Amino acid sequence: MTRSGRALRIQSQARVPERPLTTGGSRKPRFMTIRAAPKKTYSSGVIFFIAPAVIVLLAVGIFPLLFAVWNSMHEFILSRARSYALHGQPFLWFQNYLGLVNDAGFRESLFRTFVFLLINLPVQLVLGLLIALLLHKVGHEWLKNICRVSLVIPLATTLAVVGLMGRLMFNSSFGVVNYAVATVISLFHSIGPLLQGHFQVLHGFWRHVVPSNMIDWLGNPNLAFATVSIMDCWQWTPFCALVLLSSLTLVPPEIEEAAKLETDRWWQVLWRVQLPFMLPGITAILILRTADILKMFDVVYTMTQGGPGNATDLISVYVQRVGFRQVDQGVASAQAIVLLIITIILSRVYIRYFYREI
Amino acid sequence: MSHFPPLSMRKFFCNFIFGVALLSASTQFAGAWSLEEAAKPYSGTEVSVIFLDRPGYNAIIKLLPDFEKRTGIKIKYQIVPYENTREKEELDFSSNGELTVALVDLVWIGEFAEAGWIVPFEEIKKKYPDIIDPNFDINDFIPLILNAFGTWQGKVYGPPFDNYSGLLYYNKDMLKEAGFDKPPETWDELINIYAPKLTKNGKYAFALQSRRGETQSCDSFMRFLWPWGGSLLDAKFHSNLGSPKSQEGLNFRQSLEKYMPQGIVDYDHNDAVNALAQGNVAMITEWSAFYSTLVDPKSSKIVDKLGVAPEPKGPDGRKPALGGFSLAVASQANDKQKAAAWLFIQWATGKEIGKQYVEAGGISGRQSTYKDPALLAKYPFIQPMLDSWQQGVPEYRPRFSEWSKLTDIIAEWGTKMMLNQVSVKQGSDEIGTRTETVLKDAGYYDGKKPLAQ
Repeated sequence: MTRSGRALRIQSQARVPERPLTTGGSRKPRFMTIRAAPKKTYSSGVIFFIAPAVIVLLAVGIFPLLFAVWNSMHEFILSRARSYALHGQPFLWFQNYLGLVNDAGFRESLFRTFVFLLINLPVQLVLGLLIALLLHKVGHEWLKNICRVSLVIPLATTLAVVGLMGRLMFNSSFGVVNYAVATVISLFHSIGPLLQGHFQVLHGFWRHVVPSNMIDWLGNPNLAFATVSIMDCWQWTPFCALVLLSSLTLVPPEIEEAAKLETDRWWQVLWRVQLPFMLPGITAILILRTADILKMFDVVYTMTQGGPGNATDLISVYVQRVGFRQVDQGVASAQAIVLLIITIILSRVYIRYFYREI
Repeated sequence: MSHFPPLSMRKFFCNFIFGVALLSASTQFAGAWSLEEAAKPYSGTEVSVIFLDRPGYNAIIKLLPDFEKRTGIKIKYQIVPYENTREKEELDFSSNGELTVALVDLVWIGEFAEAGWIVPFEEIKKKYPDIIDPNFDINDFIPLILNAFGTWQGKVYGPPFDNYSGLLYYNKDMLKEAGFDKPPETWDELINIYAPKLTKNGKYAFALQSRRGETQSCDSFMRFLWPWGGSLLDAKFHSNLGSPKSQEGLNFRQSLEKYMPQGIVDYDHNDAVNALAQGNVAMITEWSAFYSTLVDPKSSKIVDKLGVAPEPKGPDGRKPALGGFSLAVASQANDKQKAAAWLFIQWATGKEIGKQYVEAGGISGRQSTYKDPALLAKYPFIQPMLDSWQQGVPEYRPRFSEWSKLTDIIAEWGTKMMLNQVSVKQGSDEIGTRTETVLKDAGYYDGKKPLAQ
């Protein structure tokens, strides 16, 4: 097992048996050293196969990005479009970017988004890992198949629908979550006498945590933040689980079996054998989920619109407000570019510190 | 008569007959304006418009086939949620899109007019005199709503189409059980006499939709300024929230909270309406358009118990919430489309279909429609709505283009106030300071922009 890219390169220079190119001649394998990938020549027609993909990428990816950069350096308020048509859009250099430094709303939303990221990403990773390990265990194949399929359901659900579901489930008057809480409490009351003195202590503690059976999930700022987090975890933990499960299948069974013979401590096997194989998957999860959370809009918008107060006002909701409610496309583009830069920096950091290939 | 020669007598008679015939033909010609004739040159033209999924739009959709049949003009509509309508229209108008009619919420009129996206009625009249129905009578619209929804700086842009007023909806049975045979007349009565008796056993006296967004800024925050004599801005466009009257209103809202369900700060329109419809709260102040939801047995348990009244009065009078949309011709349309668009707008807001429109679920903005006593008897919410429209404030929410920034500021700090994260005074100061910054940047304080709201 190697732990660095350099080691990896050295390993790739190992001597490998060369396949005989023709059926005739000596069948005895010869050995040669591979120093570089052999040069391949392509027919000139290959451009027609690649061009469509490149054109689509340019049209839907690169052009909008460049347009956003251009916008971010100009004044672009939609309601002034007629005046721009006559006099052109004023070029502002980096004024839109500098304005963000003094924009308390932007800073606060960005900070809130990082708090959201720091809470949700580890939770999703740990829960996803637990699910992946359970599914990786031998036995109960048909149950595992059902589980694997059901894991896809949250991922396939439209984001806005997840928000609307959350809004209904966590409704304080008729939501199913409060109904479940009330059921648990009534159950607790019915078995209370059996617990005797302990009941009072437990009941007091519960009442301290939840003063009323009707928990105000979406009206209380902290609980609203927690509720949005719960819905995000519900939707994206399965994604982590599936990625990690596929990483676990990369572990060669003989190594895993050997490790299990060496020790009966599962965390030793996890830490020393399975985890190294999962690092590329974990890095992918970190990059994708970070980007997703930085641009998380639909769920928050449909659940809370950033409220109550600004408890769930994540950065993308803020950017959308600036871009489409205050119709200031210039400033909104600058904010979006800043988010892109943050995502790229974080991705580099993840790759630098987490990415290892076995 | 013998001194008249027989020939000249005949000539006189012939002339008389001819004159009478000409006169009758000319009067017949003047009264003969017809939609079919006026629309002939524009037959086959397509009019593109955005509608909302609300009763007023569903009503006009029901009547559309008749218009299309009579005129040959094709109405292409797309239904968009209210929250996305403004951005969709702005993107369309700023990129010379396909919309030929603008649906204008009263708080967008300043922005749309200043951006030059909508055509004033006078211009249409001047350019297309033949398509103006002599019976159109712009003065037949209720003056407050014509002024608020369709007029900017003295110019009429479009007639009011989808019209609302805030109303007090109440559960007659709950009030009766608590010993009241009529709804509260004033906010003071509501909080001091009605609310304590109605808030018990998990039921609440009142629900005020206060979710962050336009719901908070318009339905919750502004509702408690005007009836107390307060306002968002003073005459010079500086914040007036610190004034004793504004503070009194906002403090009133805070004290009313204890008679509302928990989590009220997350209640949107449908939550408040549902709370009343399910019998969990006794009173709500909501838009007139929700009447149909509250009398629909599929969505309401209080169909027979529903009472409707004008909003309660504050120390400074009634001044209820005011909201609604007008229809205006979009500047980006070509000449033919503009004429066709006006013919549609004129028909949709005309006297001719006023009653049909109300019967189909819409709210006409015409005074003549409501002269029919049978209509008033059939729809009990109409009379309180008409009463409300006598006393409203056109600038209930400022209608200048900066409102889109102010509404976000108010939505954030208004909910923070209700959550007691900041005091009413602190919240008002924050909103005031931020509002003044926005208005200063816009150029209201150095005379670059007229003080129009």
